Amino acid sequence: MEKTLQVLNDLERNGALGRYAIGGAMGATFYIEPVLTFDLDVYVALPQKGDLISLTPLYEALKGRGYTIEEGECVNIEGVPVQFLPAYNQLLEEALSEAQEIVYENTPTRVLRAEHLMAICLQTGREKDRDRIRLFREEAKIDAGYLDGVLQRFGLEEKWRQWTQ
Amino acid sequence: METMDTIDPETKRILTAKENRRHKLASLPYPEKVRAVVQLQRMAVPLLRNRNKRARIWQINGLEVSSKER
Repeated sequence: MEKTLQVLNDLERNGALGRYAIGGAMGATFYIEPVLTFDLDVYVALPQKGDLISLTPLYEALKGRGYTIEEGECVNIEGVPVQFLPAYNQLLEEALSEAQEIVYENTPTRVLRAEHLMAICLQTGREKDRDRIRLFREEAKIDAGYLDGVLQRFGLEEKWRQWTQ
Repeated sequence: METMDTIDPETKRILTAKENRRHKLASLPYPEKVRAVVQLQRMAVPLLRNRNKRARIWQINGLEVSSKER
């Protein structure tokens, strides 16, 4: 996965994508026990034209490097299917801007904070998100004050109560 | 429903060990967890293929797979 992250860092340096951070199951796996997934969800800030966000310039840059878009808009980068997800709402924008810097083997990268990953689970609201919240509560070190702030800012307190009672 | 207080000691011991193992897994370094995810993929792919679902094992450094597994 290190080579994949090196490619992402290079794309960020060259401006093909803005800031990026790992989310989804692989983001969660940073904090909890490993969970099965088949793709690497990467949240990205994209260069914007007016109100429109487009992944096309990013895909073009990837194509130029010989990577192809596969089924489900995944791009296989150095053996790992990467799913690029634009930060399409305020929660994701905040999550991306406050993602934590980590080093994977020898390569710097970013992972969304656990508290934001939990909030995204609440917002998405599938059964597997509920299960993931449970794992976070059981296994991850959570900053309760920070989580409260996130839940409050994005109107997720009631859902949190429903899911955790 | 049974609670941890009402189950027999042997089962309780097993469940506690299982929970401890999950906490241990949660505290592994990230690259080791990634290797564990790939191992999970290896276990899951044959089952998914039996259900006609497409899934592919990651091909990352030190974890290359044979073409049969792809």
